[in-house]
Amino acid sequence: MKNTIQSAMRGLRWAWGHKTRTIVLLVVFTLLAPNPIRSEFVDPCCAILATGLTTISSALSNIIGGGLNSILSVEKSVSNFEQSVVWPQNLINQARSLVGNVQGIFNQIQGVMRIPVNSATLPATQQFEQNLLSRDANQIAQTGAQYTAVYGGVPNATTASPQTRDMIDMADAAAQAAMKRAIEIDSLADLELHAADQINQSIQTAAPGSAPIIEAQADAWLVRANAYTQSATADLMRVRAIDLANASASVKNGAANAAAVQQQIYNLLKRQ
Amino acid sequence: MVFLTNVLSGFFFVALSYWVVIARTRRQALAVVLAGVLVVALISPPHAQAQGSLVAAIQSVLNVINGLIKTALNSINSVRTAISNFYQQATWPVALINQAKATVTQMIGQYRSAMQNIFTINLKSATLPNPVGLENAMRNHQTNDFATLTSSFGSTYGAVPTTTEASPADRTMMDMDDALAVDNLKTLKESDAAGDLTLQAADDIENAASQAAPGSAPFLTATAVVASIQSQALTQKMLAAELRQEAARLAHENALRKRGSAMTGDVNMQILNLLRRK
Repeated sequence: MKNTIQSAMRGLRWAWGHKTRTIVLLVVFTLLAPNPIRSEFVDPCCAILATGLTTISSALSNIIGGGLNSILSVEKSVSNFEQSVVWPQNLINQARSLVGNVQGIFNQIQGVMRIPVNSATLPATQQFEQNLLSRDANQIAQTGAQYTAVYGGVPNATTASPQTRDMIDMADAAAQAAMKRAIEIDSLADLELHAADQINQSIQTAAPGSAPIIEAQADAWLVRANAYTQSATADLMRVRAIDLANASASVKNGAANAAAVQQQIYNLLKRQ
Repeated sequence: MVFLTNVLSGFFFVALSYWVVIARTRRQALAVVLAGVLVVALISPPHAQAQGSLVAAIQSVLNVINGLIKTALNSINSVRTAISNFYQQATWPVALINQAKATVTQMIGQYRSAMQNIFTINLKSATLPNPVGLENAMRNHQTNDFATLTSSFGSTYGAVPTTTEASPADRTMMDMDDALAVDNLKTLKESDAAGDLTLQAADDIENAASQAAPGSAPFLTATAVVASIQSQALTQKMLAAELRQEAARLAHENALRKRGSAMTGDVNMQILNLLRRK
């Protein structure tokens, strides 16, 4: 103990004798001494972190969770509305089924329209009738010859006047064109019915969102069909126009013939 | 690791104190202190970050949640609500959907029977047995009695004469005329039957429209357009039949003209021959 006290006194005396060194050492120790390790439990930094995380969690629950719940609620409402009012699956299936039923009705119609209507009894007329009812555009090439076999050809120049020959040729041309057009239109109508079948099948497998696309295609087909109908109507009008022109030409010929007869009678009377 | 660090730190400070104490001159002591400071500065770990930056980071996250995310969620919610309201009030209001369906049902009741009654009024007018038979066969909308139609037609208009009763040209023309007339009458029976079925299809589509939803209506409109195409095709078939008939009529008149022309030529020739003989 005594030694210890003596050593301390000696150290103090040395420090008193070396004031500068002692102060420098104290300053260096004070500044360079390592910081004590902080406890996880008592460190205010961890407390702040815990409070912060709690606040973040609360904010996530209230603000983000609440907002998402509101959105979910609106989305559910929209979804229910769409499924029960706008696109109810049972009504969509019902509509698809109706498309099938309508297709069935039109299949029946096609069956009815395919029942043969041939009625001719003589060989030439049977052949011609078969050609006219063939619905086959490839047979149009034979129509002219078969028409001539039934209705005769244009008289030659020695047996008919040029005007009469012109009339006959024009009338034959209009009649033959109309008959050929009838074969064409029958063939086109068959193709339209076939296309309509295909479109109906597409509708049966369509979705509400794709059905309007198919409808647009069907609209295009309808426009096309209208054009063909107009073309057939045009040929019908041509036949009637030629018929009217023939009637008019007959009157004209009658007038010319009457004038010629009058002239001949006049000439005969002059001779007497 | 912490223990080792503490031991080394203690050893370092003891050594530093020892060298400061034994330094003979002030210059030596200053050099030792400077060397110690330099060593500590070089090997000491970086200072821990201030508590202020952690608070700022947490506050920053909270600011993002309360500001950007909250605003975005509120905006999304208000947009979705607006869309939902728009759907239910402007695009597909249930009241108007029901009103449209009710209108379809009401129009079915108002028009369908009335039109059907008009369409089924009896148009027959023949009075004699043969024409009555033909008229019945022509207008009965059946497609399984074509033989009856042909026989009624024959009874009313007569059959093609035999070869001894008419020239081949006349027989051919008569047969062709009769054939096309009967063909068309048969085609009309088919068209009548098809028309009945088309009306049934139209009724079916209209019935379905009275129970449709906005999402199922496109199927109905699409199939209605397809039905229009098919109906148009049937109209074309009727037009084709009419074309054949009109063309045959023109051809018939033309054939008579040809024959008249030939006969006139023959008569002229005979008169000329007679005059020559005189």
